[in-house]
Amino acid sequence: MPSPAPTDDRRPFLGRLADASQPYLYSAPSLVLIVAVMLVPLVLGLSYAFRDIQLLNPFSGGFVGLDHFRVLGRDQDFYRALKNTLWWTGASVFLQFFLGLILALLLNKPFAGRGLAQALVFLPWAVPSFLAGLNWAWLFNPVIGPLSHWLHALGILSEPLNILADPQLAMWGPIAANVWWGIPFFAITLLAALQAIPNDLYEAAAIDGAGPVQRFVSITLPFLAPTIAITVLLRTVWISNFADLIIVMTNGGPADRTQIVASYIFTQAFRRLDFGYASAIALVLLAALLAYSMLIVLLRQTLLNRN
Amino acid sequence: MASIEISAVAKSFGPFAVLHGIDLDIADSEFIVLVGPSGCGKSTLLRMIAGLESVTAGEISIDGRRVNELAPKDRDIAMVFQSYALYPHMSVADNMSYSLRLRKTAKEKIAAMVSDAGAKLGLAPLMERRPKALSGGQRQRVAMGRAIVRQPKAFLFDEPLSNLDARLREQMRAEIKKLHADLGATSIYVTHDQIEAMTLADRIVAMHGGVVQQVGAPLDLYDRPANLFVAGFIGSPAMNFLDGRYAREGAVVLPDGTRIPVAPRENLAEGAQVTLGIRPEHVAIVPESPMEAAVELIEPTGFGIILHLSLHGLPFKVFTLDREALKAGPKVPVAFPSQHLHVFDAEGNRAD
Repeated sequence: MPSPAPTDDRRPFLGRLADASQPYLYSAPSLVLIVAVMLVPLVLGLSYAFRDIQLLNPFSGGFVGLDHFRVLGRDQDFYRALKNTLWWTGASVFLQFFLGLILALLLNKPFAGRGLAQALVFLPWAVPSFLAGLNWAWLFNPVIGPLSHWLHALGILSEPLNILADPQLAMWGPIAANVWWGIPFFAITLLAALQAIPNDLYEAAAIDGAGPVQRFVSITLPFLAPTIAITVLLRTVWISNFADLIIVMTNGGPADRTQIVASYIFTQAFRRLDFGYASAIALVLLAALLAYSMLIVLLRQTLLNRN
Repeated sequence: MASIEISAVAKSFGPFAVLHGIDLDIADSEFIVLVGPSGCGKSTLLRMIAGLESVTAGEISIDGRRVNELAPKDRDIAMVFQSYALYPHMSVADNMSYSLRLRKTAKEKIAAMVSDAGAKLGLAPLMERRPKALSGGQRQRVAMGRAIVRQPKAFLFDEPLSNLDARLREQMRAEIKKLHADLGATSIYVTHDQIEAMTLADRIVAMHGGVVQQVGAPLDLYDRPANLFVAGFIGSPAMNFLDGRYAREGAVVLPDGTRIPVAPRENLAEGAQVTLGIRPEHVAIVPESPMEAAVELIEPTGFGIILHLSLHGLPFKVFTLDREALKAGPKVPVAFPSQHLHVFDAEGNRAD
């Protein structure tokens, strides 16, 4: 028995224990769930990065320390994938955001048939990504799809070739599919933010002497800024992890020109069956994305504090 | 400062006509109040003057210049919104200087004009705050400051005090009146509150159903309402109305046979359907009166007492400063002094 508490507590030890542990018992079910569902798989996955796990090698499984990371540091394919990831993410997010914003601004104006237009605009979002990838791969295929012929007719391509097979242009294929697929996300969120702006403000600004451009800059943009920051952050993380379209359309080729880190992980894990190395790459990607997110969150905090 | 002419102005939204041929001349530095129940078209008229709504028919001119097709920013007017419409991401000073900055006014001049307007409204200590850090009354002041800072030709107020509590509303009302006396700016003020209309206006424009009912000085509307609508809308507690028939020798006969003597009206026929109007404060409680009304309810307001009476089933109210009325009942003798009686014909127009 522990020494009696300074207060005059004559209840039995078990009773006091039950009292003290009450808050932990109440929160235990959700804590256990979180740990079991989120933390355990995460830690397990991370632990692979420090072990030699190859599915085809029955003698693998041992602890190898930082060996994977040393190999990774000299892996030219990884660096190319990293560069491709920047290119793929940057171009996709920029185009999705920019076109989504224009779409949201158009849909924010009342016109006949707006309800139908809104429904149609949001349709790509409902298409499974693998279907979208296949669809766009066929569209770019000159044998069955029209796109290369149109691009040729416009003078953009010298011959109606499949751009997915051209090392210089291949990345544009998945980017085009990704932009088509991701515009609705920005259009929906930005449209919701636009509709939350009180109309009075535009009227007050019009009376104060602001033209359409000035109204956009001094009212629309400040109101959209928090939404823009959070959606761009979300989409950046999402897209840099998003290998579906690339796997389906180019499988990282030709000559690894469209290999991004996420698809490189997929290739390492499920083609070469080297789970240890794939986990090491994933850990690096996770660290990079965490750093990026922290940066954006910090940036947002400073902006908010300045206000 | 400027005069504003509104001639035969009409407005419809699709098939719905909201305003039917409004004519109104507003003199330089006049304070005009548009008053009426919600849906009467007063706000629409104001927004048309501001340029926020298109003009379906007729013409609006400011200082003799037709402005129908002019954008709001080219009309040189300022507007105070019911919601204040302050830019939430700008400080008080930036809110007030926004229009000047758009006009590329020199920096020193902006600073001088903003601090001048801020001082007038007692905003000096709040200049760096954002709207969300201000109280309702302070926001209202900032909205006013934003309007006065660039010295426009005219001020438009769209129910600017309706979001304030009663005490603050009273205080801001007085400040607006003082400000107008100071600046002498042409002002058009929309409200549904007849007390605001009475206290602020040089001239009141009473509107109902998209039609101007009466234009005149506040006391003209109070003393000589042109029709039943104005008579009932202006004044609180509202005017009492009793339906009856006109008798040529100078009386109105109520359905129960009570004869109330009135001065003879020339253009009323014998037996014509009329409505008799009398303000609650004009009903006299006189011991020798033969007319007795039953007391239904007594409402002391502190300032005076409102008696709800019934004359053979016809309800009406009396307002009196006499505290003896608290003990009134169950019957009180009342009289309707003929100099205070208003007679309206079957169409609801004033009969003199």
